[in-house]
Amino acid sequence: MSENYLRFWGVRGSYASPQTDKLGVGGNTSCVEIRAGNHLLICDGGTGIIPLGDLLISESPTPETLIVFTHYHWDHICGLPFFQPAFSAEWKIRFFGPGQNVGDIEQRLSNQMKSPYFPIEIGSWAADIEYVKPIEGKIPHGPFDVSYHNVHHPGTTYGYRVEIAGKVIIYMPDNEIDFLRSSIAQRTDEFTEEEHQMIARIQREERDVELSGVRRADILIHDAQYTPEDYSKKRGWGHSCYVDVVNFAIDAEIKVLYLYHHDPGHNDVQIATIHQECLALVAERGSSLQIHVAREGAKIPL
Amino acid sequence: MASSTTTSAFPLVVAVDDSSAMRVFFEQAVAGLGVDLRTFPSAAAAAACLDTHQPALLFLDIIMPAKDGLTYLQELRLTSLHEKTQTIVVSSKDYAQDRASAKDLGVLEFVAKPITSRQLAELISRYTGARAIDESTRA
Ligand SMILES: [Zn+2]
Ligand SMILES: [Zn+2]
Repeated sequence: MSENYLRFWGVRGSYASPQTDKLGVGGNTSCVEIRAGNHLLICDGGTGIIPLGDLLISESPTPETLIVFTHYHWDHICGLPFFQPAFSAEWKIRFFGPGQNVGDIEQRLSNQMKSPYFPIEIGSWAADIEYVKPIEGKIPHGPFDVSYHNVHHPGTTYGYRVEIAGKVIIYMPDNEIDFLRSSIAQRTDEFTEEEHQMIARIQREERDVELSGVRRADILIHDAQYTPEDYSKKRGWGHSCYVDVVNFAIDAEIKVLYLYHHDPGHNDVQIATIHQECLALVAERGSSLQIHVAREGAKIPL
Repeated sequence: MASSTTTSAFPLVVAVDDSSAMRVFFEQAVAGLGVDLRTFPSAAAAAACLDTHQPALLFLDIIMPAKDGLTYLQELRLTSLHEKTQTIVVSSKDYAQDRASAKDLGVLEFVAKPITSRQLAELISRYTGARAIDESTRA
């Protein structure tokens, strides 16, 4: 049990896609398991957390478990009501996510289990449940160093930075990169030359902040939901076009990028094409960035 | 002494934004306007002022390090001092969900970046009644 690894349990964005032509990549929504010995960190509770829970329930002794949520859109929480360990008195589970205080986290996670949306409420959870408050911007969890930052997505949404065994992993399943650039491009006629210079400065600052949060990470798991064609129609929906993601990862000197939060409408062939196009972009820029498609079930040693 | 008394009689405008270039835009916007502007790079930094002062107008960015602007406003609204503080959100994060949260928190306007100092000056005048001041009376 001293093994350290990361495993993808759900890689889809927006909603589950269990159609046969999509199962090579996987149909479950956001959930990533990161394991370090007896400490378990789960990022998001989309439908992928259900098979994870089914596997965990027979584990003994139960691991020290922390589940962090990026935000409370359905695709990130809807597996939680079916997460078996929460219903077992053997388990202790700690939760963290956006909110003003621990009461907010509890309320947002429990609302989806209220009548008439679900037959049982969180009162039926038998596990020892704790909603945690960050300490100086960090959530302590054994050997893990977990911190969070605000990202570009509707409603308060976090990205997580996880340090474990000397490796830095960034989890940003929902983030629209470079939103400001396209806003500026759309309104360019409104500004004087001097204002343009100031606006360019604001844009550079925003980019620098985004890059500094992830710079030189070993692994970046990032929203790559849209093709350029999708993005031209869905700009402002809170997700990124893979071209922007690849450029962002190269600029941030990331080692390995996992394309994540796949569009539920894209089948295995379309995602393989996106992957090829991403690799071509990397070659064009002469970068050493490695890019993989996040696939359900893939286990990466850390 | 006379000048500081005069200055404090001007309406207080507070801007919280982590972008230093945006803070320069705010400075430029109020040049020549009769307002007392204070800018801060984060909610934590603004607390020193907002814990004890109700500005005539408060500008909040959304995405900042640590606390985001809307979570901060939610907290401010729970205090009697800021229950009704006039607030404008200026952000590059422009989504319907954030606009709806801002509206629920009684925000006057939700302005998408980029915004210029001209546009900021207009908003400040509109909501504080501040007008360009005659330099000669600004002892
Ligand atoms: Zn999502
Ligand atoms: Zn979302």
